[in-house]
Formats: sequence, C-alpha cells, structure tokens
Amino acid sequence: MTRSVHVVAASLFCPAGIGTGGLGPARPGVVPDFDPIASGVSRKHLKTMTRAVQLGVAAVHAALANAPGWQDFPPERRGLFVGASPQSGDAEDLVPALAAAGGDPERFARDGLPLIPPLWLVKGLSNNVLGYASAQHDLRGDNGNWCDERLGGANAIAQAVHAVAEGRVDIAIAGGADALVGAESVVGGPCGEGAAFVVLVAGGPEARGIHAGAPSEFGVEADFGELGAAAIPVAWVRAWLRGGAVNVGGIRQDG
Amino acid sequence: MKIAITAAAVRCAAGTALIPPTRCYASPHDEAVALQIPGVARVDGVLEDPRFPDDRKGSLAAAVLSALPRPPRDARVGLYLGTGLSSLTPDEVARDLYPHIVADAGSRHFDRVAIARDLAAHHPAPRRHQPERVTSELGKDLGAIVTETSFSACAAAAQSILQAARAVHRGDVDIAYCGGHDSMLHAIGYLSFVVLGALSPTEGRPFDRQRDGFLIGEGAGMLALRREADLGPDDAVLGWIVGGGTSVDAYNVTHPHPEGDGAALAMKRALHDAQLAASDIDYVNAHGTGTPVGDQAECIAIHRVLGAVPVSSYKGAVGHTIAAAGAVELALSLGIFKSGTIPGTPGLREIDPELPANIVRDPTPGRVRHFLSNSFGFGGQNCALIVAAP
Repeated sequence: MTRSVHVVAASLFCPAGIGTGGLGPARPGVVPDFDPIASGVSRKHLKTMTRAVQLGVAAVHAALANAPGWQDFPPERRGLFVGASPQSGDAEDLVPALAAAGGDPERFARDGLPLIPPLWLVKGLSNNVLGYASAQHDLRGDNGNWCDERLGGANAIAQAVHAVAEGRVDIAIAGGADALVGAESVVGGPCGEGAAFVVLVAGGPEARGIHAGAPSEFGVEADFGELGAAAIPVAWVRAWLRGGAVNVGGIRQDG
Repeated sequence: MKIAITAAAVRCAAGTALIPPTRCYASPHDEAVALQIPGVARVDGVLEDPRFPDDRKGSLAAAVLSALPRPPRDARVGLYLGTGLSSLTPDEVARDLYPHIVADAGSRHFDRVAIARDLAAHHPAPRRHQPERVTSELGKDLGAIVTETSFSACAAAAQSILQAARAVHRGDVDIAYCGGHDSMLHAIGYLSFVVLGALSPTEGRPFDRQRDGFLIGEGAGMLALRREADLGPDDAVLGWIVGGGTSVDAYNVTHPHPEGDGAALAMKRALHDAQLAASDIDYVNAHGTGTPVGDQAECIAIHRVLGAVPVSSYKGAVGHTIAAAGAVELALSLGIFKSGTIPGTPGLREIDPELPANIVRDPTPGRVRHFLSNSFGFGGQNCALIVAAP
C-alpha cells in the first residue's frame, strides 16, 4: 500500500527567529528569545536536557500546536522521526570529579567517578528529543532517530514520508534539532542552533504532495553557519513557509 | 516483505561467529556458555583500524564488515548502521580535560576556549561524538549510495536492520549491509550504568530470581540483505526477514513501561507486517538484559502477544552490547535453523517464577519456522524483527 503524503504544519526555530519570525535573513548564532518553558518544554525535565534537546522538544510541541486535530489520531498511529547529533552532558558537571582526581587517572576512577551526576551520560543520548517529546505528546507509533550530521534531519523526514505512504502511521512528526554554538573552534567556522519539524499526514488532494528520493541535494543555507542535524529541516521549512517549491536533501514537494 | 539474509558476521564476547554464505554457524549457544565469565565481556584480538583511532567500536564495525562478501559489481549498495554514544575514555579525559581546569575565586571551572583550541589543534576535523563518521568511511569502501546511522540506544541495530530491509524491499538499493556496533568498556561507560542501577556487580543472569542487572559487552554484528528475485542459484540464504515493527513507550526516558505496552506494540506490529499469527512464532530471542524491571516488562509483553512461546537471552554470555545488541543477537540466532536447537539462557540458574513467560534455561531441541528478536532502548524505543527459516 502506498498513499500520498502531505505537509499540514511545521515549526521553525533558527537564528533568524521563531515560527514565521524565522523567515528573515540567515545568520549564525543562537535562536533569539528562545524560552524553553514558554515553548512547551517540561520544567521537570529541563535540567536533564541539553540545549539541542530543549530546542527539539519545543519544535515538536510547536509543530503539533500548528496541526489542529492531531490528537484525533490514536497514539499507536502517531510516528516521530528525528535527526539529532549525539550530545554531551555538560562538561562543567565533570569538574568536581576531575578536580578530585588532581590529574591522576587512578584517583579519577576511585574518587572522581562517584562525583559525576547519575544522568550525565543519559543526557548525551542522541535520541533524547524522541524520548521526551514522545512521552509529552503520547506518540507511540513507528519511529526512528538518525545521527548523520547534516543528513540526519533529511533522513528523518524521508523515513517519515515512507512511514505515512506505506501506512505504518497516519500522522508523522519529523525533523531535526542541533545546537553547535560554542563549537566554532572545533567545527572550523561559524555555528548556529535550531530545530524544525513538519507534520505529515496521508491524503488530502488539496495539499501539495511530498516525496522522498535519494538524498543527493544538500540545500542548506550556509549563512546560518553549521546547524548540524537541523540544517536541512530548517532550510526545508523556511522554503515551505514561503510557499515555494521545495526540493532539499532528496525530499521533494510539488510546487 | 521477504528479504534474504545472504551473509552474517559477529564479533562478541562469545568469540568470532563468522557465518559464511555457504553454511550456518553451527552452535552459537555452546560457545557462548563456555565463555561466560563474570566481569567484562570484552572482544579480544581486535586491531585498531587506522581510520578510527581511539574509537574501538569503529574498529569493531570495520572488522566485522570486512568479513562479509563484497557487493556484486554494479549493485546499488546501502549501509545502515546502529551506533552508540562515544563517551569519554580515560585517555581523553587526561589529555583533553585535566589540563583545562582553572580555579576562579574559589570555584573551579573549565577554560572552554582553551579546550576548544586544543581540540581543534589535535583533531582538525571534530572527532568525538561523530559516530556517523564510521558509517561514512565504511560506506565509501562499499561504494554505498545510501548511508544511514541509527541512534536509538539499545534498539539501534535492530532499527537499522529493519530500515535496511525496507529499503531493499522498496527497491531503493539492491544490497544492504546493516547491523550495529558499540563498545562502552571505559570508566565513564561503567559508571553511567552503575549509577543508573543497570549494571550487575556479579554476573549477567537474565530471567533469574536473583537477577540484578547486566554486564557491559562490546561487539558488532552485520548482515547482508538482498531481494529474493535478485538471488542467483549459488546464493545461500541464512534466513528471511519477513517483518518488523517499532514503537515508543511514550512513558519514561530511562524506564520501560511496567506492563510492557511499548514492547507489546512493537511485537504486534511485527506480526502484522509479516502477516503471521502469534502461533507462527516458535522462539523469541529476548532483549533480556537481566534487570529486574526490564525482564518483568518484557515477559509480560511477550505473554500478552505471543503466549507461551519459548524465550531465551544471550546476554548472560555476551554481555549487553548496547547499540550492537539487536544485530549480534539476531545473527547468533540464525544458527537455530540449522542446529534444530532452541538456545538456553546463559547465566540463568533459577527461573523467576513471577515472570509470566516460557523461559528456556537449557538448550532444547525444537524446530523453528520463525523467530522474533526484541530490542529495547533508553528513550523508550522498541523494535521487533521476525526471521523465517531458509
């Protein structure tokens, strides 16, 4: 079985702004005025989320808020597909352990390790956007999480298109999130942060169809700097919000 | 869906289980039992691959993939790998972080600028936390037109196998190499699981009345997948992937749903995908980590979906290979079709009577037409795969 697939809503968090406020000129840096709590991120879990995860969870929340009726689909038929890089627990959380070790690896193992917060490693898992967002919105259906640098977000959207087309889910939320500000020296150039998700459903001849092909085109917007797994979804959603033909990263929408 | 597994290879603590295309690995269980040891489930004899310095799991992936036959000329190739978190090793801590602690008005913190400068100097391309680099490098070797890196914690390898099978089924690629690789045998890896209460201080013993967690393992497992119509007369088939299903618990990032709702949904989806009834499944290769809550939830889920089907777990012998587990254990299970033996559960002494499942402690003769393999991960991601006999 294959079904036509359509975009019914999207969310956008990028250095140019949030939502349609993010359609301005691309530039590197942080998402201006990003308030995770106001954007739907649970205060309870905030400390166990990296900045990228906060952005991703907020973007899933915003995408669903823009898709009236999504709760009519049963939880088992709601899919979530995410592109996200592996994160790091906050390096500052390691300072007490390293200080206790005084530069001696044996002392680090003996005295330092117990001082590292229990969820330090878990905080670094790449699939935390998926874990937190699925629990928040009861998204229990088909899913996946990809960490393929810039290609991660494109892989997520492409696989979501397949999942809807093949009837494995009736609604799919797909996109990517990343936060690389502060890593300029390592990356070797300007960096940004962002998250963008689309909401996909089957049917609806009035909407433009979306198709997944070979991810041969990397249509990222270089002026954002390095956006990692968010790069292609941000470019895709900005083009979609402007209403133009979209063909980025092998994910094509009819013009 | 009916996708042929034409070759498989494994490195894990039970040894090297290369499954050549011409024969099935005879008896993975016997070797696994013989090598079960308390402590580290470590793969010895893995040479560091020069492409992946300080990345043991990268070297594991390269070694196992190199054991599979190369793709046919002109075939469109895909590579789908499940991978894990490349956390800090003690060497990296000493080299990259120790020198940069500074005291400032009585507090201590990192000189982040200095860290970034040194990392850039030592590693012109950012190296750490780039697991996709392994997929990319190995994909180039294979001439892959598609590479995907799945990061779904302990469900990563199983999800990669399912994505690969679907890609072959759709015709996106002609041959898919797929599986997973991981190694968290370092100080912070240990600590992370200890503080989470997941690591056993003694030994891995899934489904045991006294179970208290798992041992960390390391390893890699890889499969080669092709469409039935593309097989030649000399191509061997080790098994057929006939279905798979995924789900999310949507419950808690680090704890499974207590009634196994997410796990049950993944198994139901796999049955539906394979167009099979519960009675068609003759064996379940459980995720079976040996944690008290994990085994309980999985057994409830299996009982709800599949009834009294025989269930066992390899993790008492090979440890928990984390992101590689779904591939390592599925590949080991392929031996069942030839041996006619349902594997037992290494490490298990006394079956927990509270677990509502037909747990197999010792190897048992039995004909298996289809087996189902479970993988569940932090974040609540679940994946079930169904393999049919060749």
